[in-house]
Amino acid sequence: MQTSQEDSGPDASVHPGGPLVTPRSDFFASFAWIAVGIAIAVGSWQMDRLENQDVQPYAVPGLLPFFLGLAIVFFGGLMLVRAWTSGALAPHARRAAGMSPAERKQFLIVLGLCLAFGIGLVGHGLPFWLAAAVFVAITIFVLQYPQRRAADEIKRGLILAIVIGVCAGLGVTLVFQEFFLVRLP
Amino acid sequence: MLDGLVSLGDAYLNLLMSPTSLAYGLAGALTGILVGCMPGLSATLCIALLTTLTVKLNAHDAILILVCSYVGTLYGGSRSAILLNIPGTAANAASCADGHALALRGEAGRAIGIATSGAFCGTLFGVICLAAFTPTLANVALSFGAHEFFWLALFGVTMSGTLVGDDPLKGWLMGALGLFVAQIGQEGIYAHDRFTFDIPALSGGIALIPALIGAFGFAEVLTRLADPVERKLLEMKDSIRPRFDEVARYWRTVLRSGAIGVLTGLMPGVGEDSGAWMSYAAAKATTKEPELFGKGSIDGLMAAETGDMSSIPGHMIPMLALGVPGSAPSAVLMAAIIIHGIQPGPMMMVEHPQFAYQMVAMTTLATVCILIFGLYLVRPLLYVLRIKHSVLMPIIFVMSVVGSYATAWRLFDVYSMLVIGIGAFFLRRKGYQMAPFVLGLVLGSLLDKSLRRGLVLSDGEIWPFFTRPISLAFAVVTIFTMLLYVPVFNRIVHAAFDAIVTPLKSLVARRG
Repeated sequence: MQTSQEDSGPDASVHPGGPLVTPRSDFFASFAWIAVGIAIAVGSWQMDRLENQDVQPYAVPGLLPFFLGLAIVFFGGLMLVRAWTSGALAPHARRAAGMSPAERKQFLIVLGLCLAFGIGLVGHGLPFWLAAAVFVAITIFVLQYPQRRAADEIKRGLILAIVIGVCAGLGVTLVFQEFFLVRLP
Repeated sequence: MLDGLVSLGDAYLNLLMSPTSLAYGLAGALTGILVGCMPGLSATLCIALLTTLTVKLNAHDAILILVCSYVGTLYGGSRSAILLNIPGTAANAASCADGHALALRGEAGRAIGIATSGAFCGTLFGVICLAAFTPTLANVALSFGAHEFFWLALFGVTMSGTLVGDDPLKGWLMGALGLFVAQIGQEGIYAHDRFTFDIPALSGGIALIPALIGAFGFAEVLTRLADPVERKLLEMKDSIRPRFDEVARYWRTVLRSGAIGVLTGLMPGVGEDSGAWMSYAAAKATTKEPELFGKGSIDGLMAAETGDMSSIPGHMIPMLALGVPGSAPSAVLMAAIIIHGIQPGPMMMVEHPQFAYQMVAMTTLATVCILIFGLYLVRPLLYVLRIKHSVLMPIIFVMSVVGSYATAWRLFDVYSMLVIGIGAFFLRRKGYQMAPFVLGLVLGSLLDKSLRRGLVLSDGEIWPFFTRPISLAFAVVTIFTMLLYVPVFNRIVHAAFDAIVTPLKSLVARRG
């Protein structure tokens, strides 16, 4: 069935640098799934069975997680076999396309900024509106920097980013905290 | 029957007589349409963020806003599909081909008019089904015990994994992962900590709203900003007006797509886009002009929008009657309803008999709102489509952080949102869908409790899971669906199907 889910993100089969998914990439991913499944099953097996509370063996807390671990191992194994029979280990098996250097750089910048805001700025004493304003302004300026530089508009870009950042910080704070009485970090 | 009609009338009257509620409904629908217009912002994210925003409102008004935003988001997605050739939400992907082709021919206004009329009729059709079937299904579900709920939960995750995306194996893996993540924290029977690694914050488990904001919000921010694609917005030269003449002309398509949308909505975790695609495929299979599909077919656009929108009330039916959400947005809606003190499921019709009818009235109001805003708020919506990702996404991330934090006031929820978002970003790139994960996360607790309670009730015997009639039906469908993926079994089923159908076909042909 042809579906294009709202959560599908980039088309996993088509990418400018080649396919993002290949039998080879599935082959290596299956090992990760099997390892996760084994870890879950072992963790569930070793979990307290609450015998001191007279809990029956078929009602122990680790019962379902144990079966889920086994299911993940089973499905991971199926993926391994499927990838293998699809030529994952053939000499000329295609590698999955990774991010291009430009894409990777952009991704790492965005990730770094988001983590700095989510972990570093929020909830550590700085007023939320200020933290949000700083994050939004810096992110917009950094992301638009190449275009602004090419157009020789760096100063204008910086001022716009600060204005949008302050408006966003104050706007989000006002709407959530003052209008809808939601507590902010 | 009469009680139901009286309750429905009461629900409509109460809604119409309250100016505050009407204002909230309009605001919710408008917010939804604006969010839906912006590619990448999903209905799930919109409802999750609005859940935290409306957490202090009374239950009726808060849920009204969420329902209206749900309908609004999916409708708004058609705008960017037509004008940008990027579906605002995935449910509008089927509208891209024909809607954008019409816009390229200078008929963008006509395409928007058809999408709006189709969406209006589709949602209304779904609302009628919601009113008719929810109480009936809830009454049937009152006879469900632990064994039935075990299979229902497993059936939901399995079907979601099977039908969503192109690779059922990856769908099942994500479903199992979601079910596992739901086991983290204190379990529901003996309050024993599972997989908490002595981290106190993990005892509360991974909350659903932050997890969904991570999977649908943060992951989308990373996706869009790592690979920004700014597309050209088409100009709109013709006028927009309701195209009910086209609805009358394609009434068969509207009815068929409405029914398909509701039926796909009943399937757990399948998502609104399946309704759109299946309706589109059915319209293409039955039309006299299949060659026009993908090149500006009115029939195709009408089918896609009607099927997409009618699946919204369709998804609400199992959510309200069984406590099993039909899609990721309805999973968040269900979480929000629970936050406001109403537990969806078979007991809902006993404990809150009015609520199902209030939902019907809310969805009807949302339907009227999209018609009004869709036709009379065209120019401002075009400005929204022009906002750049580099400006929009950082603000979305700020709201995602607030949304993760605000329901429980825990910074831990922000951190879990970040971790799940990064994981979802990489998994999505490798073809793993988030819908089965979400459904697993929602149904994990039900599955766990039902399995253990069922075993306790039968003193450790597993046979009641297979011998009780409803359990057996769910078990057969679940196992059969999974076995279809095994090539040998698939071949046997196809051979058996051919052996039965081919002689019947030739018999019919001979008689004809």
